[in-house]
Amino acid sequence: MGSFVQYTVQGLAAGGFYALAALGLAVIFGVLGVVNFSHGACYMLGAVGAAVLLDTTNLGFWPALLIVPLVMFVFGVLMERLLVQWLLRLDPLYNFLLTFGLTLLLVDLVKRRYGVSGLPYQLPAGLDGNVTLGSLSLSAYQIFACLFSLAVCVVVWAVLTKTRVGMIVRAATENSERTRALGINVTRWVTPVFGFGIALAGLAGVLAAPFRAITADMGSNFVIILFAVVVIGGLGSILGAVVGGFLVGLVEAYGQAYAPSFAQVVIFVLMAVVVLVRPSGLFGREGVA
Amino acid sequence: MTARVDVDLAEGPVLSRRSPLRWVLFVLGWVIALALPWFVYPPVAMDIAAWGLFAMSVDLLLGFTGLLSFGHAAFWGSSAYVTGLVAINTGWPFPSAILAGMVFAMVIAVPIGYLSVRRTGIYFAMVTLAFAQMIYFVANQWRDLTGGENGLQGIPRNFFGIDAIETDAFYFYYVGLGLVLLGVFVAWRVVHSPFGRVLVAIRDNPARVRALGYNVERYKIIAFVISAGLAGLAGGVFAISHGFASLQELNWTTSGKVVLITVLGGIGTLWGGPVGAAIVVSLEDWLASSGFEGTGIILGGIFVLIVLLFRHGVWGTGRQIASWVQRRRRQNTRS
Amino acid sequence: MSTSTRRRRLFSAVAVAAIGSLALAACSGGSGGPQSGGSSKLTNDKIVLGLLNDQSGVYKDLSGPNSAVAIQMAIDDYKAKYGDSAVAKTIEIVQADHQNKADVANSKAQEMYDRQNADLILDVPNSAAALAVANQAKAKKKLYINVGAGTTALTGAQCNKYTFHWAYDTAVLAKGTAGTIVGEGGKSWNIVYPDYAFGQDMNKSFTTEVKGAGGSVGQSIATPFPSDNFATFITKAGDGNPQVVGTMHAGGDLINFVKQFNQSTLKGKSELAVGLMFITDIHSLGVDQFAGTQFTDPWYWNFDEQNKKWADRFKEKTNTRPSFAHAANYSAALNYLEAVQAAASDDADTIVKSLEGKKINDFFLRNGEVRAADHNVTHDVYLAKVKTKEQVKEDWDYEGITKTVPAAEAYPQPDGSCKLS
Repeated sequence: MGSFVQYTVQGLAAGGFYALAALGLAVIFGVLGVVNFSHGACYMLGAVGAAVLLDTTNLGFWPALLIVPLVMFVFGVLMERLLVQWLLRLDPLYNFLLTFGLTLLLVDLVKRRYGVSGLPYQLPAGLDGNVTLGSLSLSAYQIFACLFSLAVCVVVWAVLTKTRVGMIVRAATENSERTRALGINVTRWVTPVFGFGIALAGLAGVLAAPFRAITADMGSNFVIILFAVVVIGGLGSILGAVVGGFLVGLVEAYGQAYAPSFAQVVIFVLMAVVVLVRPSGLFGREGVA
Repeated sequence: MTARVDVDLAEGPVLSRRSPLRWVLFVLGWVIALALPWFVYPPVAMDIAAWGLFAMSVDLLLGFTGLLSFGHAAFWGSSAYVTGLVAINTGWPFPSAILAGMVFAMVIAVPIGYLSVRRTGIYFAMVTLAFAQMIYFVANQWRDLTGGENGLQGIPRNFFGIDAIETDAFYFYYVGLGLVLLGVFVAWRVVHSPFGRVLVAIRDNPARVRALGYNVERYKIIAFVISAGLAGLAGGVFAISHGFASLQELNWTTSGKVVLITVLGGIGTLWGGPVGAAIVVSLEDWLASSGFEGTGIILGGIFVLIVLLFRHGVWGTGRQIASWVQRRRRQNTRS
Repeated sequence: MSTSTRRRRLFSAVAVAAIGSLALAACSGGSGGPQSGGSSKLTNDKIVLGLLNDQSGVYKDLSGPNSAVAIQMAIDDYKAKYGDSAVAKTIEIVQADHQNKADVANSKAQEMYDRQNADLILDVPNSAAALAVANQAKAKKKLYINVGAGTTALTGAQCNKYTFHWAYDTAVLAKGTAGTIVGEGGKSWNIVYPDYAFGQDMNKSFTTEVKGAGGSVGQSIATPFPSDNFATFITKAGDGNPQVVGTMHAGGDLINFVKQFNQSTLKGKSELAVGLMFITDIHSLGVDQFAGTQFTDPWYWNFDEQNKKWADRFKEKTNTRPSFAHAANYSAALNYLEAVQAAASDDADTIVKSLEGKKINDFFLRNGEVRAADHNVTHDVYLAKVKTKEQVKEDWDYEGITKTVPAAEAYPQPDGSCKLS
């Protein structure tokens, strides 16, 4: 029983990274209709950014949690203004391919600049121990990662539902034509929303930095899993991305624990099943096929 | 949301049947195909041919049916493995091994296609990606059969005991080319046929095609299976050429590379496939030999530029120029 | 146009094309063309040494382009030693990056042997790549000395006449590390290994050695390869409270594993034994993460004066300290050149004959011998313990050598699976 709880916590911690990043991907897709293949690369840049920040300015984990997403926001804005916006009126296929090419570029740039052996990054002091609950001993950092991701998701959800800005974003996601017809300048929000989605990916990267090896390739398989997450949750749905993220994290953890040979296939089987049975995903809206 | 890619095929072939330029291009194509191994290291020449056919198979789906498959490596790769296994275990001449691989690819394409074509656009891409990943993992797990990380090594190249073809990559190229050209011919015939016209119609307006009484799903599945067969043929040739089949052949990065080649060459042009393959394979080979480290930067950069500025790819842009020139000429003669 | 006219046009077009290509080909002087057969002689007094390894991926720092520097040092030393009476007056190095992929290694090896006329291919880390190159060496009948990979299959089931294994293999690592740790009291083990050929090999070797030394292996846990999330597997490894958790991961996986292990509840409870570790891993993760870990190193630069002298020369040229791979590539290249000198030819079969059974003593191979039975090169290896931060005097000075494992002890006898043809 004890190990089951440990696996659950581990799954929720990993799920937290997925949920955060998937949230960014879902928001970008919802408002812009862009499937951002480079989301994994942005996650990687977030982790690399945290390591580089520590190396050059000696600023540790806590400042990085704030600084790196801000930098990634700017990066996202630049990406949208310089590249993505030109293809927005075309089939989403083109932006998918554009971001795919961008991924190749970014990953190789990081490889050339920082090598391949991985950048060092330690656990923040204060979180490097273990928390004992009765007979269970759980990693403090994992619990933190899980709770922090959840908190950010809740905050984003609150912003989207309770504020005017959020309302505009949600309306634009559901039906940008009608929103425009109501006199709202949707275009003005496209760029910041894209930047925000990228910032979330970067934040997930910072969270992952103390925990995973920081290599140029860390985003490559991550993005494939991310696709599975958003498809399972529903491509345009914010709740779906979050729930999907945690769900996939758990599935991965349980799979590794109880059926390791099948662990990696299960996620894709789940994804295929969802697309075939309920293509809009668990929480998506019908008619978004 | 259907995948509508802007291809101006609706205008019909740019060059009329009688145009001398068309014959020149035809002859030029043959010359290049036949003379290639004299100028390029023969195994690389074979790679160009194989990837060219692979890209054509993707274009058949993407440019002519409007379906982006991001998991086509499943067919290329599984055919490579089956070809290898047949060659190793039976000692038959390699064309039969390649045939076996091709058939296998088509067989697995039936259920995958049947399930995938229910969705369109980006969903179709993601489902094909998911299925390809599943096959990748199965191959990884079934390492007694596939060799796992080691790959399938020592695939023999048996050809009726003709030593020149069996050991020298130069002579093998011509046999391999023959097989590839068979595939090219099939692709060309499919496109220039009533069946092909229906596919194009499905690409542009599936609702109307359905209203006309066609079973859209069945057409898509058939196109999918044909495309898988061609990808399988290409993959089999590749495996025999290298004497090796590895998990890389099933990896999603291979699916991504062939899409890159197709877009670079030109979606919906069919001949863009070989052009794109020639560019990418030669570029990779040249970069690798020159010791340059940033292959991904160059390829990724080229790809971004192509998608932004030259969406029609090399062949497609060439076509646009040709059609623009023709239009000007017609205008001038009219006035 | 009638059908027959079109058909005639079609055929004449293809005929023109065929003639055109032949004409074009006849004028070509390009890199293609059919191979000229026959074995390479020391044509134009040229020896070509091929270096095939990972130049952009996880093993770049372990060997990578710096091995070319090491090989050049060997060439320079050879020339300095023989001067005008050197048999090989022109010696070239060609390099290629196999990106840790077996298929790329396969193609590159073929190219090196065919296109670049390599007489010898060196290095090739990554077991899958190593085996692919062995196949090419056998097909092309040219020499191949592997330095970087660990698979025992190179001198086992997949051995061949032209392949030599110079530096280490998984059996050696197991004997050294497992034997020592069990001897020190770490008797109960759980092993975690990556689920692919190398990992399975290591798991088998270590299980055998632990049991042979009087210990026990409770569980062998397979992890997907590659992976970056080992949390669940580490938890599993704690089942039964083993004294030792053995990790058989390499490269990026190892770094991930150690990081997560150190954050887990197992740290302090179970000792961490690392199957395969390179000095570059310590450098990238940091000494504190690895402090106290014991592992087997085929060669350490700061072991004695002789090694240090070579390491200083290496540092002058590369600004970093050498790993065992750099030293081994130097040793292999130099010994090959010596063999060429002695035989006055680069004929592969002659060189193979001269190497079999040869006893070699240089700064890399201490008490070395090229075993005739399987072409495994036995030599002394070392038990290393990672220093703590305070003990590290200079950059790369991470290891304290606790024991020298003599060749006879380190290398198990050939098990008969190798049939040299």
